Amino acid sequence: MVKDSLGYITHGSKAYHIWMIFLTAIMLIGMYCYSIQLDQGLSATGMTDRVSWGLYISNFTFLVGVAAAAVMLVMPTYILKDIDFKQAVLIGEGLAVAALIMCLAFVVADMGGPSVLWHMIPVIGVFNFPSSMLAWDVIALNGYLFINITIPLYILFQHYQGKEAKPKIYIPGSILSVLWAVGIHLVTAFLYQGLQARPFWNNALLGPRFLASAFAAGPALIILVLAVIRRFTEFKIETKTISKIAMIVVVAAQINMIMLISELFKEFYAPTHHSESAYYLFFGLDGKTALLPWIWTAIPLNLLATVMLTINKLRNNPKVLYICCFMLFLAIWIEKGFGLIVPGFIPGPYGVIAEYTPTGVEIGVTFGIWAMGAFVFTMLAKTSIGIELGKLRYRKKDKVIVSETA
Amino acid sequence: MNKLKITAFFLFGCLLINCKHKEGEYHDVIEKIEAESKKYHDILMSSEAYIGDIETIEITEGDHTFLIPERKGQIKSYACIECHSKPLSDMQDDTPTRKAHWDIKVNHADENAMNCVTCHNGNDMNHLKSLTGREIDFNLSYKLCSQCHTSQFQDWKGGAHGKNIGGWAKPRAAMTCVNCHNPHQPQIESRWPVQFNSQKARERE
Amino acid sequence: MGEKKKWYKLDFGSKTKESAASSCGCGKTSGGCGSHQGPPPQKDEYTITADEFDKAVEGTMVGETRKDGFQQVFDVKMDRRTAFRKLTASLLIGAGAVQTSCSVVAGEETKEKAQIDWEEQFKGNYKLMTQEERNATVDRLVRSYQLRKKENIKMSSTDASKDVLFGYAFNISKCQGYMDCVSACVEENNQDRNSEMQYIRIHEMKDGNGFKFDEADDNYYHEVPAEGHFYMGTQCFHCDDPPCVDVCPVQATWREEDGLVVVDYDWCIGCRYCMAACPYDGRRFNWSKPEVPEEQVNKNQHYLGNRMRKKGVMEKCTFCIQRSRSGKDPACVEACPTGARIFGNLLDPDSTIRWVLENKKVFRLKEDLGTDPKFWYFMD
Repeated sequence: MVKDSLGYITHGSKAYHIWMIFLTAIMLIGMYCYSIQLDQGLSATGMTDRVSWGLYISNFTFLVGVAAAAVMLVMPTYILKDIDFKQAVLIGEGLAVAALIMCLAFVVADMGGPSVLWHMIPVIGVFNFPSSMLAWDVIALNGYLFINITIPLYILFQHYQGKEAKPKIYIPGSILSVLWAVGIHLVTAFLYQGLQARPFWNNALLGPRFLASAFAAGPALIILVLAVIRRFTEFKIETKTISKIAMIVVVAAQINMIMLISELFKEFYAPTHHSESAYYLFFGLDGKTALLPWIWTAIPLNLLATVMLTINKLRNNPKVLYICCFMLFLAIWIEKGFGLIVPGFIPGPYGVIAEYTPTGVEIGVTFGIWAMGAFVFTMLAKTSIGIELGKLRYRKKDKVIVSETA
Repeated sequence: MNKLKITAFFLFGCLLINCKHKEGEYHDVIEKIEAESKKYHDILMSSEAYIGDIETIEITEGDHTFLIPERKGQIKSYACIECHSKPLSDMQDDTPTRKAHWDIKVNHADENAMNCVTCHNGNDMNHLKSLTGREIDFNLSYKLCSQCHTSQFQDWKGGAHGKNIGGWAKPRAAMTCVNCHNPHQPQIESRWPVQFNSQKARERE
Repeated sequence: MGEKKKWYKLDFGSKTKESAASSCGCGKTSGGCGSHQGPPPQKDEYTITADEFDKAVEGTMVGETRKDGFQQVFDVKMDRRTAFRKLTASLLIGAGAVQTSCSVVAGEETKEKAQIDWEEQFKGNYKLMTQEERNATVDRLVRSYQLRKKENIKMSSTDASKDVLFGYAFNISKCQGYMDCVSACVEENNQDRNSEMQYIRIHEMKDGNGFKFDEADDNYYHEVPAEGHFYMGTQCFHCDDPPCVDVCPVQATWREEDGLVVVDYDWCIGCRYCMAACPYDGRRFNWSKPEVPEEQVNKNQHYLGNRMRKKGVMEKCTFCIQRSRSGKDPACVEACPTGARIFGNLLDPDSTIRWVLENKKVFRLKEDLGTDPKFWYFMD
């Protein structure tokens, strides 16, 4: 199967090849940037003792959400037996795998000592469980990665051999993955929520808001991906499927909006000393306004997308839907990315305001990792589409006929 | 749904255990200090070596016994009677050139309260004198200061005022008043900080 | 190609295999890998522990600069994703390869260095080491320094004494803002001079404004004490319930029995979670390779204290563990010209710190966070 799929993914249309070459080029640039970072240390990034987490952790946080969102497709398909989602779910899980790999890459990129990361491996190293939320997160992410690789692998492998997958085997896994998905995002939220040192994060709404925004941004991305797949492959994705996912996006985006309002109300109605980070984010502090353009892009986009998606007519128009999904995705990326991480550090514990601007190296590595995610996802999606379409099948003795389309 | 509940309970349980792992027996550090110091045994460690070549004398004031630097040996022109062989009035002549102590200016309280003879005994220059005229040894000059500066004296005895010498372990050694304050001008002078962090300044631009 | 690149150390499973086969660590067949100059085995050694010991290597090794081919770049992405898994898997293979390559040739010294680097890279967490293991790693570090810098250092691994709990008090009325403590601390603890890392911050506050840290200036440069201002120093407070310790995923930082919160620099993975968790700005990160001019290095060191750090690890005030564990006052206490800093054993009822706690009106910063700092402030 590995050989077959390898053969399958190395063949494709011109557009496919250009896409993959493009991604490889970006990955190479990212690797070069990372090499600079390894050589100079993290001083090659814009992070300082004041703002000690930046672009990497922001992206990590956001991508955990994307990964968790795959569950919104798994649940209806495997557990509620909603056939509509069946085509989407493999794509969703592929997306989850890619997102998780990106998450891990971002975490590793953020480490000061990647050569001693083995210290984190249970048994060989010392694992500070259950005290450290980061230890929880390592378990949660790797466990989720494992689940999301094994379930589709099992199903695909069965289909590859021309058999039907047995629900008895994959349903328990799916149920676990549903719980686990909620878990990874909650645990990631707790990572920040549990820090009494950072009042901006230390609020009870952070976890639920993470979930709501994830279930908006993740499926939004899935819609976009499905749209692309529908456009470029023969894989049939019904409009019904997309509109059902759109429904999920809407509900999540609405809940997210309510929580945003609640958060804003708490920060600005009776502002305390602890609201300074929020002030910095939305209005700037002491003339330091680096995040203003970002957050004031994100909020209107978020608002606009939510309102537009709420209106049925607009949502059912594919073009509007795609644009809205893109807007929502972008808005949440900003808001749950550095719009969340950076203000947590500003002002510092003693009120010092030092701003953070990512360096070229940091941005390069970030793009590299995103490209890697896209690369992994493209490969996974292509294989699974190939199998699902019946183009990639196990044949005794015969060589697999590799399709040239895709 | 049951599974969810069980998982939730499990997670919650883990968190609870997690919270309890810290020093379960004590509520806070003050409680811990109180409890643990009840069974305190003197530790073997000594700071004596870190006092260095400062010669010290042991004093006992109230409940506190500790070392202070010996003073007389540090005063260049001690013993004073080597010059002050006659009573002060005899030594003062009308010549405008001053022969000794020309650099000493008294800037301590005001002239109503203090002048040279408030502390120095014109008849016995080798000793200081208390307000009531009692003799005070130069080594124990803190007794002189403590006549007015009572609260500082209390703090100094306890260790809240003044500077420790050497180490935190026993024996305790502390600077005495005149090691830091010039008795004639006891104010600590202002000066520039010894360093400036240019990196920090850059970071906050 | 001319620049030194250190990322390839991650890929040491395949690298060591390669090198064992081809006797060239870079894996590049055509010229210009740079490693052909030196004896092959030692090149291999540096590859493995490059990150950890690069400072030392760069310092004195001549003609053994590590250069590498472009192709190493290609491995990076793979390694980043699977770094931990790969590392473990390659542990055994790597060990074998190094053992064999070590025994081939090369001078005694290079071999010894390689051996030390290898053992250092794969030693355990100091907290969990037995006394023998602790002594062994201290010996290795001393020897390593000797081999590389031709200088002798004294490193101790003194444990916490029974019946000792360190505490600190700071007299706000006494501090004049001279910053002697800051300088003394930097010199004592071998902090990076390039980034001007400092553990202590002195905040200049306006009288009558209360403790407004956000309006305070901790990087003033004018005659002090300034009219109408007072000074307040902060550093690591050695909390009794330290949030930084709870969050560390690998237990690279912990609270010792005598209350000191310490970091095992060699176990730290540099995730900076503790830094985010500290409400007192007590932790510092080595964003690049810390550098101290050789003549300024304080050679009286402690494993958990002021020994030389490497790039990408956390560090912090340890109440000068190398001094305090042997009965001496921390450098800041010793340097303070005003006696504003009081240090001692909280469990000793006769100690000065206890007298301060019992007789002065003391308070701590951000007490509501429940971290229980062992650093008190008071006024005359």
